[in-house]
Parts: sequence; structure tokens; C-alpha cells
Amino acid sequence: MNVVDLMITIVVVTILVTIVLAVVTYIAYKLRLAREPGPGEESSSALRYFVTHDPQASRTPSAGKKRASTA
Amino acid sequence: MTRRGRTLFSSFAVLALALGITGSFVLLALFGSPSVQAVLLRGVAVSLILFLVVLFVRYFSLLWFAYLGHAERNLAPPHHPRDLPPVSILIPAFNEAKVISEALRSLDHVEYPEFEVLVVDDGSTDDTLELAAAWEGRRGPARFRVVTQTNAGKAAALNTGIQQSSHPFVFCMDADSRLEPQVLQMAMRHMADPSVGAVAGNVKVRNRSTLLAKLQALEYIEGLNLPRRAQGFVAAVNIVPGPVGLFRREALEEVGDYDTDTFAEDADLTLKMMAAGWKVVYEDRAVAWTEAPERWIDLAQQRYRWTRGILQTLRKRRGVLARPFPDFPLWVSALQMGFEAVLWPVLNIFAHLFFAIVALVFGGGELILYWLVLLTLLDLVAALVTVSMEEESLALIPLALAYRFVFVLFLDVVKALASLEEVFRLDMGWGKLERTEAT
Repeated sequence: MNVVDLMITIVVVTILVTIVLAVVTYIAYKLRLAREPGPGEESSSALRYFVTHDPQASRTPSAGKKRASTA
Repeated sequence: MTRRGRTLFSSFAVLALALGITGSFVLLALFGSPSVQAVLLRGVAVSLILFLVVLFVRYFSLLWFAYLGHAERNLAPPHHPRDLPPVSILIPAFNEAKVISEALRSLDHVEYPEFEVLVVDDGSTDDTLELAAAWEGRRGPARFRVVTQTNAGKAAALNTGIQQSSHPFVFCMDADSRLEPQVLQMAMRHMADPSVGAVAGNVKVRNRSTLLAKLQALEYIEGLNLPRRAQGFVAAVNIVPGPVGLFRREALEEVGDYDTDTFAEDADLTLKMMAAGWKVVYEDRAVAWTEAPERWIDLAQQRYRWTRGILQTLRKRRGVLARPFPDFPLWVSALQMGFEAVLWPVLNIFAHLFFAIVALVFGGGELILYWLVLLTLLDLVAALVTVSMEEESLALIPLALAYRFVFVLFLDVVKALASLEEVFRLDMGWGKLERTEAT
């Protein structure tokens, strides 16, 4: 195999592998997205956050106070 | 089946459709009757000649206009500090605890006489609010404020910031951006022209430790800033990027701030401003450093969102695409946006596939080699020109060798699949990127 043939092989393989890699990455992204918690499932952590910073629950000056005043 | 399950199923159905179309084309080329093969290959050959013509026209027109933009850029010194109007800097933040403190620290070095910083926490569930609140009330060169809201998305957070701020100019940045000290002064020089509604800054990649991040550093210079510089020459920049953009409040109020119905709120707002008759210009010395994804899957996620967001914006303004006049610059900008988001990636994928098939099946390997050499030379020239214009590291130029045949092709496949999903209007979410806390 001469140098030109070798280069052609490298280029063709690179193109095909890149396209396959992109499709596989896209599938992986979609699967990861499907595994992430949805908005409804996140409500428990949001609730934890609200409890921590609820100005009614804590009278000390904190970020929670700002939340109440600006939300 | 749950809603999420349906979305995943729909995505894979779209993927199967794309692979089916491509596979049919390949099978026809390989196993069709000689007459079918001849017709197909002739048609594809003509398409490819057109593709190469478009490619050359695109490259050289971009380079030419970018050169004109560079040559005629505003080199006037910044205004005297006493003449500079106050600016409100807005930072929308959702779960940015890893990066928010460093972004706020970078504002300490911004050289500008009077500005306020407003962090809008978009209902974060990590420590973003606490970390930002630690800066509140702090005075130095700027006054820091923090507001928070129930999670409503980036556009809504920016709108909250616009409403809560008071200065006549609004500067929007991302929570992972780091600003150069001169950024406000450089951008503000353009606002001396009362017809300028927005100034797009120059976004550069901050983290350059991996090959993927380095390729993005080159892409930001060659693939994103080059067109922006060319568009800036005709004051029709079609995207004021999220990490660095200065807006005239009057213009924002006229167009009604950000719309919340797309995933590319920056592109949407920019087109709205142009449609309202405001000039949108580019300033290459208003620099912000941003964090690029360091994993291929994160890059795919980011570009998926960008592509679908841009198509949503174009769908909203499809009337513009149908009417070149009276607003020709707007039409060109919208057309270019669509071309770069959909048409060009699809053409590029098919061109690559065609040459690969020809090389494998018909033995025309030299053809693909000539093509490779031609495009690589073109990319090297473009990289050399743009890296010189930006006074960037010359070490980025050799990356042009891998730029088109790996990086751009990868992105084009993701863009094409995202476009197909947008055509079928599948559900999508914002998709928060994982920060690496790079500094």
C-alpha cells in the first residue's frame, strides 16, 4: 500500500468513525436526558431549599429573606 | 408510556428516519441498477459541485467582509470616564455554585466609573443564591445586588434583571463568564451612535486543557467570531452572545425584552431588535472568557439546544425569510442563520459520505484526497487570518487539520438530528451543562 492509499484509507475511516461517533453520542445524550430527574421530581429538593430559606421560618437575616422580598 | 418515554421514543424514531434516508441513499448508490446508480451519482455530483461553489463563496465572502470589518473597526479611544453612562450588569444563574463566585470576582477588575451588578438566581437548588448573596451590598467599583425567583428559565431571569435594574444600559453575561477589564468601555464606544441598539462582544474559550476544548477555542475564533465580524461590517450581527452583550435599555423596552418561548433567547432578541430598526454591531475588544464543554456528550447537548433554539427563533420570524425587502440586512441575517443551522450541516454530511462511498466503492480515492487537501488549506488560511485578527495563540492553527474532518463533521451530525427533531417539534428541556470549575 503506497502513501496515497494509506492517506485515503485514514481519511475515509476518520469520516465514517466520526459520523458513527456523533450518532452514538447523540443517543447517549438522549439516554442521559431521559435518566435525569424531571421538573416534578425536583420539587423535593426545591422544597428543601425553601424550608432552609423561608423567611417565615427564620428571622435571621439571610438569603432566604431576599428570596421572599424579591420572588 | 410516560411523557419522557414518549419523547425518547420519538427521538429515536427521528434518528431512525435520518439513518433510513441516509442508508437508502447509500444502498441505492451501492446496489441499485446501473441506470439508477448513474442518475444518482450524476445528481449527487452536480450537487457537490454546487456545494463546493457555495463553500468557496461562503468562505471568501466571510473572510472579505471580516477583513473589511477589521480594517474599519472603531479604533477611537474610549470616552473620558466622566462621559460614560452607568451600566447594569445582569447575571442570570441557575445552579452555578461552582462558578458564580469567580465570575463575581472578575467584576472587581472591570474598569468603568459606575456600574451595578445584579445576580438573578433562577430558583437554584444548589448554593448559588448563598454564594451570590455573600457579595450583596458590597461596594467598590460596583454595587452588588441579588434577586431570586422561582425557576422560570434564562430569558425570564434576564427579564427580571432588566426590570429590577435602573441604568440606561444593560450588560448581560453568563455565570461562567469572566470579563476583561476593558469590556464595558470598549462596548460602550459604539453606543455613541444612537441608532445602535446592541453590541455583541467577543467570546473566547477559557479552559484549553483538552483537545476538544482547544478545538472549540479555534471554532469560537474561526466559526463564530469570523461571521460576527463580517456581519458587524454591515451592522447586522445576528446573535448577541449570552456571555457578553451590551444593550440600550430604550431598545430593550421597545422590543419588549426577551421572549421566553425559544431556547436561543439571545438570537431571538437580536433579530427582534434588528426588525425594530436598531443596529447591532460587533466589538472584538469587548472580551469575555467562557467555559467550553470538555466532553463530547456535553458538546452535543449544548449544540442540540443552540440548533433547536435558532430554528424556533426562525420559525417565529418566518415572515422575515419570505420578504427580502424592505429590510434586506435582516433578511440576509435570518437566511444566514438558517443556512448555518440546517442546510450547511446536511450538505456537509452528504458531501463527506459521498466522497467516502466513492473512495470505497468506485476507487476514486484521489478525489477525496484532493478534497481533503483543498478544504484543509482553506481552513488553515481561515485559521491563520482569524487568529491573527484576534491576536490569539498561533498554537491553535495546526488544529485546523482536524477541525473539519472530525470536529465540524461531528457537530453537523448533531445539528442535523436536532433540526429533524425541531421539524417534528419534539419536547425538549434546557439541559444544564455540568461545570468543571475551570478558572
